[in-house]
Amino acid sequence: MSAPAPLPHNPGPSWGFGFLRWADRRWPRWLFRPLLMAGTWVGLAFMPVQRAHSRAYLAVVFGRPARVLEVWRHFFAFADFLVFSLQAGGGAPVRCALEPENAAAFEALVRSDRPALFGTFHFGGSDLLGYLLSDRGRHVTIIRQQVGNSDDTRLLGRRFAGHVSFLWVNDPAHLLYDLKTAIEAGESLALKCDRLEFSAKAEPFQFLGAERLFPFTIYHLALLFDRPVVFCIAVRGAGPALRVYSSPVFQPDPALERAANLHVARRHFQAVLNQLETLVRQDPYLWFNFLPLNPAAPAALR
Amino acid sequence: MSDALTLRLKTLIIATLKLEGVRPEDILDDEPLIGSPRFGLDSIDALELVLVIEKEFGVKIGSSEESRKALASVSTLATYLRAQSTRV
Repeated sequence: MSAPAPLPHNPGPSWGFGFLRWADRRWPRWLFRPLLMAGTWVGLAFMPVQRAHSRAYLAVVFGRPARVLEVWRHFFAFADFLVFSLQAGGGAPVRCALEPENAAAFEALVRSDRPALFGTFHFGGSDLLGYLLSDRGRHVTIIRQQVGNSDDTRLLGRRFAGHVSFLWVNDPAHLLYDLKTAIEAGESLALKCDRLEFSAKAEPFQFLGAERLFPFTIYHLALLFDRPVVFCIAVRGAGPALRVYSSPVFQPDPALERAANLHVARRHFQAVLNQLETLVRQDPYLWFNFLPLNPAAPAALR
Repeated sequence: MSDALTLRLKTLIIATLKLEGVRPEDILDDEPLIGSPRFGLDSIDALELVLVIEKEFGVKIGSSEESRKALASVSTLATYLRAQSTRV
């Protein structure tokens, strides 16, 4: 029998999360904050790959080469969110304020007992949304990659135990069956739809000035299992609050052919990505993908 | 050689996965279904096929190993259904 593959690790030292939590609890803000800023410069110096991806992404958003200070701001925005996330995992209250547009339909869906598919992106505070749905009485299965040193996930999982489960994508051979089992058991799923690495289906969508490939699996699952899809994106508001932008609800129409439903789904996702692009352009530093930006779609797919 | 069940399965596969221009006789009994460059089926296609087969034949394909074995080819799928389904 072969040994299980070692889990991937987040960049940075293995003690990084523990140290951040310790310093955040022990040090006053006037000391912690400048040291976090200084530590971000160190991270910037020792993460050349992430730095290069950040620079390339920011150049696309700004339409010009990004300055070092801008790359640092990108890194710092992530460090700042990580601290926020660790605080939330440690029990700090986080309030969600829903923006009015589409709020009524979103609330109606969340408060119903109807299983749903909740999509989001690696942007701003969106990572916390799956956990925070439990405030509205939802049990959610969060789909994510298991990494060896993800203290924020471990803490959040512990805090919201009983309200959230995890479905790890590390083993793609079993993922789809685990998904099927979860959906057939009436679970709601929360999944991020910007990284292509674990997606079975990707399609081209207009984003940041090009037709780029994005995972489209969530809509295929919606059609296969007749589940509604809704997207949420969160940015930090004042204090320990998240401002949450929800999309309209996509509901497969049983009266339509599959192709027609997919056509409606594509329009829905393009509108979601338009909303995301607006938020990205308002605050580019909240895009927490230190990876190559979604590639332009091959001509044959456009 | 194809029998009534394999023909039924091929027709079901073509209809479910909308394989345009493919006729039942174009699919060989032992041809790999998933991962075959000719059909280009991915894991979502496999899942869709599993759901249709479960509904049509009243079986429950409970794990990815079971599905991989069953969906290896039309021939293995037919063998699996003969063993598991009362609707064959």
